Amino acid sequence: MKLSTYNFLTSMAIKGVKVGYPLKLTINKKEVVETEFNATFVERLLPKLDWSAIYSAAQVVELTDDIPAVQPENIAENEQLMQKLHHLLFEIDVLDGQLECPETGRVFPITDGIPNMLLNEDEV
Amino acid sequence: MRLNLTAVSSPSPIHCQLEKMIATHVSKPKKVDKKKRRCLAIIKADYNVTESETPTIFLAILNAGLCNGLTEETLLAKATAHGKVSQVLMLASKSYCFLKCASIADAESIFLAMHNVSTIGQHGAVCYLSYVTGIPQLEAVENDWNKPLPKGLILLTDFITEEEESALLKAIGNDSRSNEGNMKNRRVKHFGYEFVYGSNNVDSTKPLECRIPTACDFLWPRFRQAAAENDLQGLDWTQPDQLTVNEYEPGHGIPPHVDTHSAFLDPILSLSLESDVVMEFRRGSECTPLLLLRRSLLVMSGEARFDWMHGIRPRHLDWLPTATVSLTMEPRRKRTSLTFRRLRRGPCHCQFPTLCDTHQSTAPKLLMDTLAKQAVSLEQQNVHDVYNKIANHFSDTRHTPWPKVSDFLHSFDPQSIVLDVGCGNGKYLCCNSQLLAIGCDRSQGLLGVCNSRQQSVFRCDCLQLPIRTASMDGCISIAVIHHLASSERRLTALREMARILRPGGRALVYVWAKEQRRDNNKSSYLRQNKAVNKERTTEQAQRQHQAAQLEHKINPPHVSLPVHTNRTEFQQQDVFVPWKTKDAEHTTFLRYYHVFEEQELERLIADVPEVFLIKSYYDQGNHCVIFERAVS
Ligand SMILES: [Zn+2]
Repeated sequence: MKLSTYNFLTSMAIKGVKVGYPLKLTINKKEVVETEFNATFVERLLPKLDWSAIYSAAQVVELTDDIPAVQPENIAENEQLMQKLHHLLFEIDVLDGQLECPETGRVFPITDGIPNMLLNEDEV
Repeated sequence: MRLNLTAVSSPSPIHCQLEKMIATHVSKPKKVDKKKRRCLAIIKADYNVTESETPTIFLAILNAGLCNGLTEETLLAKATAHGKVSQVLMLASKSYCFLKCASIADAESIFLAMHNVSTIGQHGAVCYLSYVTGIPQLEAVENDWNKPLPKGLILLTDFITEEEESALLKAIGNDSRSNEGNMKNRRVKHFGYEFVYGSNNVDSTKPLECRIPTACDFLWPRFRQAAAENDLQGLDWTQPDQLTVNEYEPGHGIPPHVDTHSAFLDPILSLSLESDVVMEFRRGSECTPLLLLRRSLLVMSGEARFDWMHGIRPRHLDWLPTATVSLTMEPRRKRTSLTFRRLRRGPCHCQFPTLCDTHQSTAPKLLMDTLAKQAVSLEQQNVHDVYNKIANHFSDTRHTPWPKVSDFLHSFDPQSIVLDVGCGNGKYLCCNSQLLAIGCDRSQGLLGVCNSRQQSVFRCDCLQLPIRTASMDGCISIAVIHHLASSERRLTALREMARILRPGGRALVYVWAKEQRRDNNKSSYLRQNKAVNKERTTEQAQRQHQAAQLEHKINPPHVSLPVHTNRTEFQQQDVFVPWKTKDAEHTTFLRYYHVFEEQELERLIADVPEVFLIKSYYDQGNHCVIFERAVS
């Protein structure tokens, strides 16, 4: 699971959950796959991403020195930050770990790089 | 006397390949001998039939058979010119065949005349014959003149006189008002009501201007008279209101079919004019020929009308049994048949479900309720479990993106985020590299395929997308929600897609259409049914065949639904579609589908208040919609 995907995932489908976001991420095993940096791609994507989940992902992979808790203004002009974001969102692949609902603690395992967000019938 | 014309399927066409290499032109004795031995070895291996040193009544044609294009007609035409033949045995996908002759003298004469002489082999190659000790004894004898006729099938000979025959022909020929058309192999006219071949039904609200010609009126009292004389008063002899006239030139035929149950009542009456023809009646592997004599009336009632198909092979010659132990061939002449029927104007209530369109198409409320109640377990067993088991094979068959889906994906601005709901093997995730495409599916097996291709995927149910509200620029869901077993669930899936779209975001949804033809064009799904398209068989025959095949092969699913026959038109909306694995076991899995009626998808979209319909279209057997999330 790329951390760009993580940015969109929620546990709001669980009965009684109000927001379910961001999910609490735990990484047991990850892989870094270098991909070509495209500043425009990251720039245009940013408005569609949620910064709080970007930051929580950065905390897990210990990149908070590079990525601030609050989205800085004129971010596109900060080439270095853009590169870090690219690395965070597209180069880190979570192979094994879990996502946890912030409200109920329900755990969604990530196995072989695929998060299993399937809910049981009685959870919805 | 038994006279069998047999065609049965048999294993491995591999020998055909070998034969093609062996067959050449008239050959020297030594070469001939060598080839004969090789062919005989194959026949011995296949059927344990061996060569006889001395003449017998059994002849094997060693290097020509069905698989290299030899027809029964060609063979009989050649052989019967030299001697009497009492049985022909052609074997499916075999490059040899057999003749049983009336006597040893007949066999010798045929052998002398044809062996290493007759050029009936592939591409005009000379054929080799050999006396054999017998011919394969096959359990399934498909065609047998001595078998009793199907129940309810009656032939009343000399039903009309020659004078009456010419009067009828004149009356029909002169009636220029009639509704005339050309079928692939015959000329057809309708009186009373038109039979529409696309829908295989009549429109009872649209009677034709031209009623059944009054020249036919003398037939009605005669029907009743014949009924009394033949103890057939139990049948309904009310005056027919629909007449179909078929004109067959030699070589013309009509594929095996059953007259649509819901269209017409029982019985169906057919008068043969101008010449005789052999009609074949089929049910599963059973086949009974019947010689329809000129001026006879065929009565198809009960089982014969509802459970058997009837057809005429497109041939120039019919072979018939004679009083002596032999076959004769009769060249066909022009024939006209008058089929009299009465419209049913309602559902059929027969006791023969296999070919009954009413039985197949009724989706009563009860079924919908059952489906809704059992939806979760049905989808689990007959969708999710199946896709997991067939994931790799399924993925291998799904490479090419459909062009219109690809167009849709290319209609987004670069860096748009698109979710593929039910992404399968992820073939649409890499369609447009300018997008951030994320996929989700129920099947772990298929997700594994995506993941191995470095695609971003997660596992979920399309009824609960674990995705932030209003976060997606686009969404596609191709061939997914037709796997949901209730209309409520199908609607829920659409609502979920609507929810995750940002205002102005667009979604494309494809579902399988019940209707697999548009404007008389078959969908690509139907076009792949080569056997039907080349008129080697019919959809009905394939259905019968499959019903027989599946009878013991499948564990009955817990919800009873009809099993659809692949590459044929859908008979009903909620069906199991078989998936046969390609491995040695040929396991058949049943996938549940709800195929959509026209406008059904649009009606569901209308129930999703957050979105509006941009476009709906029909694409190769699928109903498709594009909708947009409103800016509120
Ligand atoms: Zn019926």
